[in-house]
Amino acid sequence: MDWDQFIYFAVPAILCWAGGAWAAYRSSSGKGAVALTLVGLMVFSAFIAGMWISLERPPLRTMGETRLWYSLFLPIAGLITFLRWRYKWILSFSTVLSVVFICINLFKPEIHNKTLMPALQSPWFAPHVIVYMFSYALLGAAALVAIYVLVRSRKEKVDKTVMLLCDNLVYVGMSFLTIGMLFGALWAKEAWGHYWNWDPKETWAAATWLGYLLYIHFRLRSPMRYGMALGILVFSFVLLQVCWVGVNYLPSAKGYSIHTYNME
Amino acid sequence: MWRQPWGYAEGWIICFGLLMTGGGLQWAVGPVEAGLFRFPVNGIGGLLFIMFLGLVSVVGRKTRLVAWFSGLTASLTAITSLLAVVLVMGFTGPGIGQITSSWPFVLLFLYFLLILGFATLKRLCELFAKRAHPFSKKDAPFLLNHAGLFLTLSAAVLGNGDLQRLRMTVPRDTPEWRASDEQGNKVELPLAIELRSFTIDEYPPKLMLIDNADGKALPVEQPRNLLVEESPLSGDLLDWKIEVTRSLPMAACVMSEDTVNFVAFHSEGATTALYVKASNRAGDRVKEGWVSCGSYIFPYVSLQLDEKVSLVMPGREPKRFASDIIVYTKDKQTKAACVEVNKPLSFAGWKIYQLSYDESKGKWSSYSVFELVRDPWLPLIYTGIWMMIAGAIGLFVFAPTKNE
Repeated sequence: MDWDQFIYFAVPAILCWAGGAWAAYRSSSGKGAVALTLVGLMVFSAFIAGMWISLERPPLRTMGETRLWYSLFLPIAGLITFLRWRYKWILSFSTVLSVVFICINLFKPEIHNKTLMPALQSPWFAPHVIVYMFSYALLGAAALVAIYVLVRSRKEKVDKTVMLLCDNLVYVGMSFLTIGMLFGALWAKEAWGHYWNWDPKETWAAATWLGYLLYIHFRLRSPMRYGMALGILVFSFVLLQVCWVGVNYLPSAKGYSIHTYNME
Repeated sequence: MWRQPWGYAEGWIICFGLLMTGGGLQWAVGPVEAGLFRFPVNGIGGLLFIMFLGLVSVVGRKTRLVAWFSGLTASLTAITSLLAVVLVMGFTGPGIGQITSSWPFVLLFLYFLLILGFATLKRLCELFAKRAHPFSKKDAPFLLNHAGLFLTLSAAVLGNGDLQRLRMTVPRDTPEWRASDEQGNKVELPLAIELRSFTIDEYPPKLMLIDNADGKALPVEQPRNLLVEESPLSGDLLDWKIEVTRSLPMAACVMSEDTVNFVAFHSEGATTALYVKASNRAGDRVKEGWVSCGSYIFPYVSLQLDEKVSLVMPGREPKRFASDIIVYTKDKQTKAACVEVNKPLSFAGWKIYQLSYDESKGKWSSYSVFELVRDPWLPLIYTGIWMMIAGAIGLFVFAPTKNE
């Protein structure tokens, strides 16, 4: 299986997720929404599994491949949030976000080859990246909610339940962000001899982590200062983007980071 | 200012003051010398630091000053200041090592640890005085996260002086016990490494098209390549149909005045060669010949298809580096092992990593380079890391608040 077949899995998956999002508004039980979302997830996972088998390595190395996981985890994060807190709109939201990333992969696919350099051949590789992608999905959702609320807040007062939603997303996202970073440290010890090297990717990961740490503590210190908290949330997501994508382009990291695998 | 209760202003001034003091120290005495802070000095220092934190937390738990240092305002100002310094590091690039061993960074880092220690101990004190704060399920992740981070960061800072990272170049069949440190000083070790063999497994060869004018891989935006896993094989590159009819994974180049030929050659310095037939889609051009990535004795051979493009084989990508070694210690222990990237050997308190080899000779390298790392503080760091992982799971399970 390769990228030529991606569209035959992506379109049915999107249709299922969209159907699930619609069903979330229709019925109060939400069973239909959950079922449709799950079917979509299975279709999409089947493609990832097929890629994994035909590449003979986990599809986690290039940006296109990590986007694939991101598109998978957004609906999963949406589904968990839906099951736990019953926000009706969350499935539409996660579907739209996922579609954006699927479209990038459909219209601007990157060339993928089978080779995987020895530094990446480790049992830590899959958990490290998968946990990070899941956390990015949650924190991305939190950032978009924050931007939406900040824009609307000029007209109407910020709703307390929206702040609680942000807190929930950040707590879960932060827990995965922490696990992803610590798995990275344990892996770095096995691969590079030290658990922390202040490589550009690691430095920006530390900055991102401190950003969300700031949000969590600020919410505890000043629970009523919504605007500032949302600002910190958006700022932290900017740091996350620099860590995820920006490091590949940052002059201070170019040709120096040991974390750049996808630039050939 | 400075009148209780303290607020944000005092927090910012403390952080700013530490950065300034650090700047002054940096100017006066130069960078922090991690090497001076070795065992047992670092161990004693660490114990004193923890005893100080514990004593002040218990004795002063009712004072406003300790309450401030273990509270959210101090945490927020310390996190923000550390974040600011880390951002400077993010834009710095290769000079980062100078920042992490600079006084402003070290002082701010120690202050961050102090606040973190006070916050952890405050919760512990409250839990011991049960009436004030009965144990709730959210206390477990709080303590695991804060104490875990405190343990990891303090062990990392204190252990820095005891951390040894050495590089050892070992030629085949001659045991070596001398290594060099980061400054290039020779160090004699209590163990010796003998290299039995060094191997590189490679991925199958690839074929790609390059522009004759500038040598750039085509198409420029997203170069395509053809992975030749087996022969015969056919595939497409741009508008050329490529057929591989013969494959010699171990080959020697035989050149005469006007021909280039390859023959099987199973010895040192062998290269990989593919015999390729290329025809363009219009059908008016057919080219055939050998393509090879070359080696340190044989030349690199490409096949020019027309005025614009040539077919080339880039150097084969490594799949696995491995050194078969025997390690001897002074007290007559020996251990045979295969060391690979991502699979270091732990032996006699050292971790031995595959680091490099003779890159000019590639898989025919006659020596292997290892990194030897000794970090006696690692168990403490791992304890802290696993506490934080448990704490993060707890955060996920317990922390989300109810939808009100």
